Amino acid sequence: MDFIPGGELSRRIREGDVSAESELIRQFEPGLRVLLRRRTGGDHGLLQDLVQETLLVVIQRLRGVGIDDPQKLAAFAAQTARNLAIASLRKAERQKTDVDSEATERKPDSSRGVESQVGDHEAALAVRALLRELPQARDRLMLKRFYLEDHDKEQICQEMQLTEAAFNQALSRARRRFRQILEERGFAKRDLLNLGL
Amino acid sequence: MNQQQLIEQYVAGTLAEAEAEAFEVSCLEDVELARQVEFEQRLKAGFEQVARGSTAEFVRSESTLSWRLAAAASVVLFLCAAVYLWQRLPGAHPQVLAALTSTMEQDGPSLRLALVRGAESAPRLPAGEVRVEIVGLFDPGSDYSVMLDRLRQREAANIATLHGQHPTSPVTLEIMVDSDQLAPGTYSLRVIKQASDEEALDFIFEK
Repeated sequence: MDFIPGGELSRRIREGDVSAESELIRQFEPGLRVLLRRRTGGDHGLLQDLVQETLLVVIQRLRGVGIDDPQKLAAFAAQTARNLAIASLRKAERQKTDVDSEATERKPDSSRGVESQVGDHEAALAVRALLRELPQARDRLMLKRFYLEDHDKEQICQEMQLTEAAFNQALSRARRRFRQILEERGFAKRDLLNLGL
Repeated sequence: MNQQQLIEQYVAGTLAEAEAEAFEVSCLEDVELARQVEFEQRLKAGFEQVARGSTAEFVRSESTLSWRLAAAASVVLFLCAAVYLWQRLPGAHPQVLAALTSTMEQDGPSLRLALVRGAESAPRLPAGEVRVEIVGLFDPGSDYSVMLDRLRQREAANIATLHGQHPTSPVTLEIMVDSDQLAPGTYSLRVIKQASDEEALDFIFEK
């Protein structure tokens, strides 16, 4: 489907066009998930809530008073999502001040949604399968440094005496295989996104 | 900086805040870009989840793999050596030449080879598993070797050899020849008494 500019979406929603609201959700939901995933620390339940809340706020705003610059609808939605994420974080911080001695002894992951745990579990299984398939210890170490330790490419290449081309090739292979493994496990591209996988 | 580098830096959290925010707006304006970024985020999350358990999977020694490769190489080497030796061992073609092992084989096709003075033509080997009855004077207490050669313009190429054969009677030694394994041509069957200087019995036949 084609991308509909923010100005047009804003106008149509203001005029009561329900299909424009559906279009706004289709266009913005993937990007909002990216943005909010970064701010929700892997809490899939919270991520989903915030995506829904952001879309609701944006649509209600467009149905009502509208926004100052409709051409910048994406920037408005992004800022709304950030504000909601910050508010959610503050709320969580406030709740932490009411110490529940029993709750503090619980495992940190216990508050996370089942979907989140399932999603992470599937991704972890795929990564495990990927790691098992990698014959070279060097490649596993390279992925560890890149994805876990967030070392930049240059540093990794220098330390491991790799050319950038070799690094990119190995990374590209790993990504391709990760996608294949997930798909082989029954997660199509759309499912991966819908489940946040 | 290309798009993939931007994605990697965003996911790694190394983009400056202003750049990251601009990149997020781009994701809202480009569904496909957002999907690529989310895929990378999932991959990173998968690694983090695995690492929560143990990092052993990342630093797994190659020794196991090396050991397996070495074992596989040894097996292949052993098989190659076995095949090489098998092909060169005398009497290693039982499918062509075999000892008579059952009375059932008495009922199949047969060929009688005997030294006949003045014979004008060589006997012809019938098709199938043929019982070849070699007529001569044999020592029942001795072992005999039977060699099958193909004759081509005065040259003899060994096809198969059978050792340790015992005569079925003082005048008969029987073996099985798989005629179907032999190409049409002239063949020689030589019978030699093992550990002896006795002259070989040499029979010619056609296939």
